Amino acid sequence: MFDTTNFQPLLARRYTLEVRQQMAWYWQAQVIALALLVGMLISAAILVSAGVPAGELLNEFVILTLFDSQSLRAVLFQAAPLIMVGLAGCLAFRARFWNLGLEGQMIWGAIGATAISLFEIGPPSLRLPLMMVCAMACGLLWALAPVLLKLHLKVNEIISTLMLNYIAINFLLHLVYGSWKDPRDSFPYSPQYKVFERLPELFDGVSLAVVLALVVALFVLWFTGISRAGLYLRFVDSSPGVARAVGVPVKRVILGTVLLSGALAGLAGLMITAGQEGRLTHSFYAGYGFSGILIAFLARNQPIAATVVAVLVATLFVAGRSLQVFYQIPFSMVQLIQAILVICVASSEFFIRHRIRRIQGGQV
Amino acid sequence: MDMIASWIGNIPDFAVPFALAALGLIVIERSGVLALGAEGLMLVGALAGIGASLMTGGATVWALILAMCAAGVVSLLFALMVLVMRINQVIAGLALVFFCQGLTGLLGTLLDWTNKPVAGLQSLSLWPFSELPVVGKLFVQNPLVFVTPLIFVVVVLVLNRSVLGLRLRAVGENPQAADAAGIPVLGYRCAAIVAGSMLIGLAGAYISVLSTKMWIADMVGGRGWIAVALVIFARWSPWKALAGAVLFGCIEALIPQMAASGIRLPQYFVFMTPYAVTLGVMIWVALASRDSSSQPGALGEPFIREERR
Repeated sequence: MFDTTNFQPLLARRYTLEVRQQMAWYWQAQVIALALLVGMLISAAILVSAGVPAGELLNEFVILTLFDSQSLRAVLFQAAPLIMVGLAGCLAFRARFWNLGLEGQMIWGAIGATAISLFEIGPPSLRLPLMMVCAMACGLLWALAPVLLKLHLKVNEIISTLMLNYIAINFLLHLVYGSWKDPRDSFPYSPQYKVFERLPELFDGVSLAVVLALVVALFVLWFTGISRAGLYLRFVDSSPGVARAVGVPVKRVILGTVLLSGALAGLAGLMITAGQEGRLTHSFYAGYGFSGILIAFLARNQPIAATVVAVLVATLFVAGRSLQVFYQIPFSMVQLIQAILVICVASSEFFIRHRIRRIQGGQV
Repeated sequence: MDMIASWIGNIPDFAVPFALAALGLIVIERSGVLALGAEGLMLVGALAGIGASLMTGGATVWALILAMCAAGVVSLLFALMVLVMRINQVIAGLALVFFCQGLTGLLGTLLDWTNKPVAGLQSLSLWPFSELPVVGKLFVQNPLVFVTPLIFVVVVLVLNRSVLGLRLRAVGENPQAADAAGIPVLGYRCAAIVAGSMLIGLAGAYISVLSTKMWIADMVGGRGWIAVALVIFARWSPWKALAGAVLFGCIEALIPQMAASGIRLPQYFVFMTPYAVTLGVMIWVALASRDSSSQPGALGEPFIREERR
């Protein structure tokens, strides 16, 4: 016979949620990995229903992109600006600043670099460094207004940075459809950069952009982990009130970190114009702002993790482009897949923080 | 004079999406859920409205209703994220916007609904007001313009004068107390999310089905974010939000007017104005009032019964 005391019909069973104090890191990693797997399965299902043959998925995403040296180089090349926006996102989020203005800062970085190229400022040997400095300065300045408004007037930075994005996009269109249009044809882009204004290939087809991105990643690692500012930043992040009370210059730390974030986004803009396109185009920024936020979120604001995630997102970008060519699948697919992955990983936090326990009959 | 008359006549067409989206956001945020997803839900409503119009061959009213339902269904994903999974509401809102941008961009192309014109609704003239000089055109609008104030009246009555609205606001102000009083907090929040999102979806469908009369990828163009700013500007009060929406309608309606009247301004600078004005309004609000008393008390805080404080 059944032991009726321990047996309950399925619908009569009751469950309760408990808040977990701590979960070992390897369990956390497993939960997140499972969430990523679920996200990928959902994405794969969407891709298949959009008309990609199921057998081609593995081929397209893994074998063709990572095991072919040419496309591996393309992935790394694509990863460079993504690493930069990812790091920019990490920095801003560490200062508890929702920098959704990465795209606007990228656009201004690219405009600054193009201005140096267009007006031929400086000798050819110094042109590229000058463009980099100008790109960083322009990105930094575009981040200045929202952070000052947030610190002094408590203006919501999500709205202000997004509005500044739209303003920057319209200014970019004004330039590329107007006075900066390439006189040789009537397409909406600037004249091509000269050879010495483009990021050169260093060795074996690996662009300077990749090396630069890795150097910046190490710098951000030093900045957040070792430097005094990084220590302050962790203090501000965990408890702004206490930090202020013990004399940490909270406002200056936040200001400096967000401006650095803007400068990195500006440099990302330069990496696309001077690295990939070779000119200022009207939609070079598309998708990068979101990806930067996603990379920072998935990497939990850790610079090294952000670099790794950025390479994976770059794989998605490259595969997305080839899907666009071969199966006419719009590039929005890449954004959709990224959003699904974010939702899955964010949901996995729930299982890390909570435990579901069955309540035995009678002992509620 | 003609110019002013046609400018005034165009204002409602631009104001209604802002008004409906802001009203939907107010419904959600009064329940204590920070809703940043308006941009995405408007896109869903816009695409679903066009899709339904094309599929049904011009049953516009049904298209609008279907668009509302589509936004309501997608908002269940947001409800799942913030109510059940307890994800940070900012992250969840942003993820929802990006999800909807990707989804609508994809579906709009795959289903081949892009740039296909739809019929929209016949405009209705409110005689005898439509015969008035200068403001006459204000009363020759599509029917939804005249329905919008009614929607506002109904929502305000429900929010401020009914038990349902009282409980909704209680959940938004102090969920712990509401829970102790026996109000199902998560149930009310979920209902607020779905109901508010349906209004936001209607706002999106207005843009695509009644105003532009076609679907273009990412056509909402930041209006959802402006609506979020409007709600802050209006201090979560529906009537102030309506006034703000009319203000933004005036500004947006000016853009085509200036192009038509031959005033030579760089067009992209003209396109910047709504965003610059939003920024200006945000700064003005911050300078004018530092108090946050009208903000729902529990806005942005997840309700977790096990974590009683």
